[in-house]
Amino acid sequence: MGVPRSGKTSLLSVIFDRAQPYDTLGMLPTQQRTSYHMVTGITVYDFPGIDDYSEMQYNTVSASVYEGQHTSLVYVIDSQGDVQTALSSLFSIIRTAQSVNPDIPINIFINKVDGLSEELRQDIQQDIQNRVMKNMTYESMNSTFVQFFLTTIFDESIREALSRVIRRLVPKYSSLENIMNSFCSKSSLDKVFLFDIATKVYLATDSSPTDSQTYMFSCQTLDTIEELSYLCANYVSSDEDSVMQRIVVGMETSAKVFIYQVNSYLTLLCIGSLQFARQDSLLEFNGSKVAKAIRQILPPS
Amino acid sequence: MGRSGAGKTSMRSLIFSNYSAGDTRRLGATIDVEHTTVQFMGELNLNIWDCGGQHKYLDNYLSEQKENIFGNVEVLIYVFDLETTKKESEYALYDECLLNLAAYSKDAKVYALVHKMDKVQDPEQKEARLEGYRQSLVKRSDMFTPEIFGTSIWDHTLFHAWSQIVHRMVPNMATIERHLSTFRELTEAAEVVLFERSTFLVVSHKTSDSAVPINKYLAVSQAIKTYRNSCSQVQSPFQSVEIRNKSYSLFIEPFTKSTFILVVTADPEIEPALTKANIKAARIHFNKFM
Repeated sequence: MGVPRSGKTSLLSVIFDRAQPYDTLGMLPTQQRTSYHMVTGITVYDFPGIDDYSEMQYNTVSASVYEGQHTSLVYVIDSQGDVQTALSSLFSIIRTAQSVNPDIPINIFINKVDGLSEELRQDIQQDIQNRVMKNMTYESMNSTFVQFFLTTIFDESIREALSRVIRRLVPKYSSLENIMNSFCSKSSLDKVFLFDIATKVYLATDSSPTDSQTYMFSCQTLDTIEELSYLCANYVSSDEDSVMQRIVVGMETSAKVFIYQVNSYLTLLCIGSLQFARQDSLLEFNGSKVAKAIRQILPPS
Repeated sequence: MGRSGAGKTSMRSLIFSNYSAGDTRRLGATIDVEHTTVQFMGELNLNIWDCGGQHKYLDNYLSEQKENIFGNVEVLIYVFDLETTKKESEYALYDECLLNLAAYSKDAKVYALVHKMDKVQDPEQKEARLEGYRQSLVKRSDMFTPEIFGTSIWDHTLFHAWSQIVHRMVPNMATIERHLSTFRELTEAAEVVLFERSTFLVVSHKTSDSAVPINKYLAVSQAIKTYRNSCSQVQSPFQSVEIRNKSYSLFIEPFTKSTFILVVTADPEIEPALTKANIKAARIHFNKFM
């Protein structure tokens, strides 16, 4: 949700429809609620921007959208636009949302931060954070589940932000995280991501802190692999054959990136440095076991 | 050589200095002549003279520095700017260059690159304009037979043109091609491509099905180059890629000290480990003459 022209539809089309960022600058305002379906049954709803959420027209959005244990609210603010109006609308929404679902997670995307310097970005985030928290305490709203993200469609920050948002919505998230953790420790890996290939959003990762740079590097690796796959596209006879794909990207330092395909829409990306040759085969063995487990846990879609 | 703002320095930095297409925006006008020496394929030392296109420098080359600039030239690459409003002056400069070239290096090969092709969207229009250049250049070039390419820094056409240019200059090209052919036959690979190490230009390619266009490999060149840049930003320089699935296996590995090799096997009977072992063995063999 968000005020008109805050960037909601454009960020969703860049992630889901793979639109080029520059093409989305001229998009028409969304007239009605549209939905984007993700793997594992998660649906993202794009609401048309409403100028003032306390007005009458807001009542067309029924409060029932906020219901449900697995519902999360994402509010998009244009950091280069009128933040005050956006924030007042936000508070109206939160009021309604929390009356229906008190524990609903609230995620605020501070969008369009491309072109702003690092200091300015931090300032804006700090400012918005302070205002939101102050207001929420003032109105005694539940502020435990509020998260802030700086985003722009011109790099991977929107995907990273969306990954963090859907983390809690992914079915069996804790089991997946446990699997990732044991995979990491048993195979001496630095980081593991479970990526959705089409959108490059990650569904699960191990518990070590996720660095934006690592995430961006993983996305770039996936892009390159995709380009290379086009080269051999004529050898693939049917879709079935691309399952069980195993990819190793080696660096001059002993670091490596391993990519195991889990099924037609999910893939495991592991980053690690292997000192010994024995660990290579161990990693492959573990990788295929993990892939099998994930296939059993997650519903096909 | 070419007029000011045609894109000569951008091209050079994109191919030889690992710039990305966006980075070339920060390049300023070239002052006088910029000399760079690039080692290509190990033994070949390319001396690239990027001549500034502004009037005062041009006047200099065409009068006092004539012999210096135009002597001992193997290849002249003239860059035409598709966006130019002064076509006649471009041709005039071209004629002058050729005149001087004929005087001092009559064995040189001439390439004409029609740059900034991305400014024209429609492919038919592109072809039409390229044809226009082709016809007028053929008339003007008398003893030199220039090869003409349409290029742009935003896609693989630039890599294509430059691959052709350097391909001709590699000394033992025939030997390399012959051995590469044998390698492909022995390993029963579907495709084998040799890339130069630093620029990732396609040096040679052999395929079992000869109808495969070179464009595919140029996209690979570009992709790997961009990836290499991003890898160096996270302090882990790129080395190799291995893709294995039910339909094919793809390997990109460093080969000799100046090349990378790409091998694709599409026969499910061939074990990937075998291909890897073959590459290793071939490496020793190729190192002897490269």
